[in-house]
Amino acid sequence: VIPTENFLALAAVLFAIGLAGVLVRRSALIVLMGVELMLNAANLTLLAFARARGDMRGHAIAFFVIATAASEAAVGLAILVGIFRTRRTANLDEVNLMKH
Amino acid sequence: VSVDGPLVLFWVFAVGAVLGAIATVTRRNPVVAVVCLVGTFFCLAVEFLLLYASFLAAIQVLVYAGAIMVLFVFVVMVVNRAETEPFWHVSGPVTKLAAVAAVLVLMVRGWPALVAPPERQAAVITSEFGTVSGVGQILLGELVFPFEVVSILLLIAVVGSLVVARQHHDKDRERESPAP
Repeated sequence: VIPTENFLALAAVLFAIGLAGVLVRRSALIVLMGVELMLNAANLTLLAFARARGDMRGHAIAFFVIATAASEAAVGLAILVGIFRTRRTANLDEVNLMKH
Repeated sequence: VSVDGPLVLFWVFAVGAVLGAIATVTRRNPVVAVVCLVGTFFCLAVEFLLLYASFLAAIQVLVYAGAIMVLFVFVVMVVNRAETEPFWHVSGPVTKLAAVAAVLVLMVRGWPALVAPPERQAAVITSEFGTVSGVGQILLGELVFPFEVVSILLLIAVVGSLVVARQHHDKDRERESPAP
């Protein structure tokens, strides 16, 4: 049996990589991919604890996370397309209309 | 030497997932990033299988590596701009300090939690564990209300993204060529 800590460490590494992508990159697409990566790391944690405790409710919550991630991606990408249509950019630093 | 098969699988696909994730956040070309992310999701699906989560592994491949990434590919086709600026040019000293502080806090607070011996209780893994039947019993039993809320959330997201992304022909025409 693989120790639960292995999965937790893998999830932590993936979460950190996703967070770095969200913080460092300016392409809105890559930022959204970083968010998906972080959501997947959270899912891995949920499933690891579900196995450690023998409790399938973690699986149900991971299922909800996937559904929420799908709607997040749909809405986020729609906003991205809308921004690109009016401003011709996918660079998050240039999307500062609400600042001024 | 006895080889622990599942552990070997874990390490192979863990390394694959981490490499894919690093490639995803460092590529300039968004198409390459999407392909790397799909690879990461496949590796994660294998990790889910190693956690006896067969239903979630199938959902991971179908929904994540399938549907969500296809959505990304379509948007990449619309917004095909490779990033030209350097990555590591972060906005200012405050951002840099915040990033360093965040990493430090994560390491200091997170590391003990990772290496601490977890409570060893004998988890009962039944043959139903993680299957469609087992998870379905919970989704349509104890958690039926959140399940229905998520379905409404998906409906709202679909309608909302259609409204946001659809072309507003009349308004655009008015803005571009005002009445003479």
